Amino acid sequence: MGEKKLGFLVLTALTAILTFAVVACGGGEKKTSVETPSAGGAAPPEQQVLVAQSAEPEFFDPHRSNFEQDIAVERALFRGLYQLELDSNDNVVAMPAMAAGEPQVSGNVYTIKLKDGLTWSDGKPLTAGDFEYSLKRECSPDVAGPYQYVLGAGMLDLAGCDAYFNGEGTADDVGVKAIDDTTLEMTLKAPKPTFTTIMSLWATFPVRQDIVEKFGDKWTDPANIVVNGPYTLTEFVAKDHVTLAPNPNWALEPKPLIQKLTVKFIDDQEVAFRAFQTGELDMTNIPATEIPTIQNDPNLKSQYLQIGSLRIWSIEMQLNNEVLKNEKVRLALSRAIDRESLVKVVYNDAYLPATYWLVKGIPGFQGNGPFENIIGFDEAAAKQALADAGYPNGQGFPKLTITVTDNPVRKAEGEFLQQAWKQILNIDTEIQAVDAKTRSSTFNSREFELFPGGWQNDYPDPENSLIGLFDTGGGNNKYDCSDADIDAKLSAAGAETDNTKRIQDLKDAETLIVTRLCGAAPIWQGAFLYLVDPKVGGVRANGAIDASMPGNWCPECWFIKAQ
Amino acid sequence: MTSYIIRRILQLIPVLWAVATITFILMHMVPGGPFTQDKALPANIVAALNRRYNLDEPLWKQYLLYLWNLLHGDLGLSFRGDRDVSQLIRDGFFVTAQLGVLAFIVAAVVGLGLGIFSALNQNGVLDYVGVFFATVGAALPNFVMASFLIIIFAVKLGWFQVLGWGGPIQFSQALDPSAWEWKKMVLPVIAVSTLPAAYIARVTRASMLEVLNQDYMRTARAKGLANLTVIGRHGLKNALIPVLTVMGPIAAVLVTGSFIIETVFAIPGVGRAFVDAVARRDYAMIMGSTLFYAVIVAVANLVVDVLYAAVDPRIRYGR
Amino acid sequence: MQELELGAEIVEEAGWDLPTRERGLWSDAFRALRRNRLALAALVILLVLAALAISTDFTHLISRYSPYDQVYAHVQEGPSWAHFFGTDNLGRDNWARVLTGIEISLQIGIGTQIIVLFLGLLVGVTAALGGRTSDNILMRITDITYAFPDLLFIILLRSVLYGRDWPVLGEPRLQVMLAIAMVNWVTIARLVRGQMLSLAERDYVMAARTLGASNWRIATQHMLPNTLGPVIVAFAFGIPVAIFAEAALGFLGLGLPPPTASLGRLVSDGYVYIQVNPWIVAFPAGAIALLMLSFTFLGDGLRDALDPRQR
Repeated sequence: MGEKKLGFLVLTALTAILTFAVVACGGGEKKTSVETPSAGGAAPPEQQVLVAQSAEPEFFDPHRSNFEQDIAVERALFRGLYQLELDSNDNVVAMPAMAAGEPQVSGNVYTIKLKDGLTWSDGKPLTAGDFEYSLKRECSPDVAGPYQYVLGAGMLDLAGCDAYFNGEGTADDVGVKAIDDTTLEMTLKAPKPTFTTIMSLWATFPVRQDIVEKFGDKWTDPANIVVNGPYTLTEFVAKDHVTLAPNPNWALEPKPLIQKLTVKFIDDQEVAFRAFQTGELDMTNIPATEIPTIQNDPNLKSQYLQIGSLRIWSIEMQLNNEVLKNEKVRLALSRAIDRESLVKVVYNDAYLPATYWLVKGIPGFQGNGPFENIIGFDEAAAKQALADAGYPNGQGFPKLTITVTDNPVRKAEGEFLQQAWKQILNIDTEIQAVDAKTRSSTFNSREFELFPGGWQNDYPDPENSLIGLFDTGGGNNKYDCSDADIDAKLSAAGAETDNTKRIQDLKDAETLIVTRLCGAAPIWQGAFLYLVDPKVGGVRANGAIDASMPGNWCPECWFIKAQ
Repeated sequence: MTSYIIRRILQLIPVLWAVATITFILMHMVPGGPFTQDKALPANIVAALNRRYNLDEPLWKQYLLYLWNLLHGDLGLSFRGDRDVSQLIRDGFFVTAQLGVLAFIVAAVVGLGLGIFSALNQNGVLDYVGVFFATVGAALPNFVMASFLIIIFAVKLGWFQVLGWGGPIQFSQALDPSAWEWKKMVLPVIAVSTLPAAYIARVTRASMLEVLNQDYMRTARAKGLANLTVIGRHGLKNALIPVLTVMGPIAAVLVTGSFIIETVFAIPGVGRAFVDAVARRDYAMIMGSTLFYAVIVAVANLVVDVLYAAVDPRIRYGR
Repeated sequence: MQELELGAEIVEEAGWDLPTRERGLWSDAFRALRRNRLALAALVILLVLAALAISTDFTHLISRYSPYDQVYAHVQEGPSWAHFFGTDNLGRDNWARVLTGIEISLQIGIGTQIIVLFLGLLVGVTAALGGRTSDNILMRITDITYAFPDLLFIILLRSVLYGRDWPVLGEPRLQVMLAIAMVNWVTIARLVRGQMLSLAERDYVMAARTLGASNWRIATQHMLPNTLGPVIVAFAFGIPVAIFAEAALGFLGLGLPPPTASLGRLVSDGYVYIQVNPWIVAFPAGAIALLMLSFTFLGDGLRDALDPRQR
């Protein structure tokens, strides 16, 4: 519950295979829902959908959003120049949305033409000027957008954006200009192959300047908001739900069929599950603990959807700790964990046991093959490693602390680990179960010892899984991994322009990180678990691009089937 | 009496100030802040956010600023969407109060009824039956009972619904008939009212028994008055004193919301909002909710004390 | 001497409700309690449960398994001969867990109520007798305590005290007891104050004052015994309430650290498995219910026995 709400950055909004981008100009399939509403038959069903998501959005302002639950709703309200879709072969591609086609690239300058005749939900024309204003707004220090860094150094690297944000420049210095009403010119610091992917992100969604200036922070109220996406916001009841209705001026296809889309905020996934069973919800995510209930009920089983996510979970170890700095100790700890058993007992086999860090679904995925025999489960090897480290049979080993969030599932995982290490290595550990913020704070201050935690990709590229996490001094390197070989590989990858070589560098880095257990011992890769009522059609769930709800990348594809 | 009430209301001010100060201090002492997360935000973004919300000012300054705004009736903005805290509390309270009032009525009626009924039949079969019902109904923690109720009556039997509150969520909906769905109200009200009902029943019974054996009751009976008159005119008022003591805090608790029931039924109430705010370190919301709660509790206690005096003429507050 | 004894007999015979000397009160109470079969049964049940629970500290004869051993081959099983109460999500024996849970819950429940009683009596009596100003101050303190942000306090307490092996305060059970007591003492304080305020105007109190008895004597000899009735009910009832409160804390994520499990913890952790394996919650909840019924009937018995007017 805790990490999901607080730490969930959207992985779904970014491209899957962009480096091999199936550039869609001309060759791409039109994005259609594979299912279409069947014509004829009985009276047309009421086109209403009730979906649950496990947290309340903070903002509907895309430039200020930090969490998945916000972004999930915003993708129905706004669209950027490009959008991520599934083509007919289920590959993730970035397709032009508000843009007319691919950008024209000349050096560092990207020129994008907008489609003709685009309008906002209130009928006023959607122009390049709107995009200029919006991108500058995302870089504004007054807005303090948590995802500003997406337009900054290391990612899109829009000229002048970081300078403006850090107070060293003005809005006029930001490298985006509307040449005319339908032409936008953007100047980056270097050419970026992932341009169209990043321009699909919520951080680049357009907003209306006059509305924002007139209403200030209230501009996203249902009475004031103006959008360019398939849906508009008609009702928001704090802590309860938000209601969306079709935007009559939605420019693209398909046109939304659902007339009333209600998103309910339900913190407790058990509650959502029960509500689904009573018929009060049409789609929801569910906790792994309920899988046995679902498997035993043929009706629920047919409505169950399990799709892999881009999340990797591991035991993170603070390398400055007196015993954890010894690689043999870390090896012993890792080899004493029966990952298959853990996933089965604690998560009902919903997740994938993992000894790898680069997740399945992104390029560079190596799987368990290279790592299973080195850091994977092996009782004898674990005992041997601990003895080699100088603690035969656990003698003299200090009591380490496992820091977990205080909810039943994470505690069960902690207890599993505690018993595994006790039975196999004969070492004692203490479980510290705290609330989510305290746990995050413990992590960020580096005051942890053993910390079950992980990483969720912002976008499906291996650089996002490694850079910043395992390089010395990296912003997310809270376990103090500092290894010259790893640093070398990561900086080589950062500078590499040849894509194949870049991926190889990252794979090599992963190999070093995993085999040396430099900060983290992977244990499982996660999944999304959903229940979808069969009356809802047009839902194409994909773990790489969904946010909070199945098939959320295309809410305009949803419809209620004729019974 | 009026001067007493006024004095009590004035005494609210130091109480609120104390609560505000303690909360402010504790709030800033606990680990983690509103922007703490596993995937750490870059330092310059955290700095920008702190600047936006005045969190980069020294603590004493933030404290004084908060008190200053409070005196003007401004409870500040929640970090969640920059929404007005007083608006959030008002909306949440509207829902919680509905649940609380309904549960209070049910608890009071059932509790008083059972208690009086048991006392009148002391040590008889009916007494034990009444006591048994009262205690068994409250023998489970309310979220366990709620879960079993949900699974049996909503999921398996389909009689009731579980998601959200069955009444209007915003004041504007109060007159809209479609906003009232009694099916959603039943289970939460039952879950919330059973424990208070049991407690009220027991205290009522205990207190009634004491009163029934008082000599003035015997005198009244000796005078030849019918049992019921005796009880009604002489017994009830005196029996109610300890009952009132407990009903005060019970009312306060009910009305400020049970976080657990609100979570289990996904009811957008103020109890859940408060606990959520603590979990997210949403400072303005924490302060606002705590102060709100303090006011409600103080008012409830005041009402109870006034009722004491009304019920027992021997109690004087003018000492 | 003879006149005094005679006087006492006459008083008793006439049924006047002058409270007798303290020693008489308690021994009479014990006799009355023995006559109340329900209360006695409750007491017996409690003693048996306590004995069973404590036995798990010394031997596995009754619990049969350790409550901490996880056996993954036998996860989420229902009741059987091998496992009386079934197993939980990590394959631990539920019967053993419930027994240990009873022990821990009793510790927490009784411990909390002792703190509550102490604070409540102290504040309530002082408030009622201390004159208007001290009454006001103490009542405002109770207002503040009611509104006290105990959640924040608990989070803070946990984060400050965690991992520092402080002798007394480091004990998580004590932290939980303090946390719950911090809020619950107020009810008893107000109850006592309310009772004493109304008793203060009673005739026999006025009589005693006329005879020159000091405030302290009036309070302890005459008024306090008469407030004991509802207070004892509140104490007995408060024990399961404390157990519930601990369960609620567990639900919020602020309970005892794993793997120690009180009944409240078993229930709040098992709640997520309620549809998968309802036994995991049913048995601990049943144990809580049994404890609660027992304490309630015992409390009732005590109240009846101690009531001077019922003898």
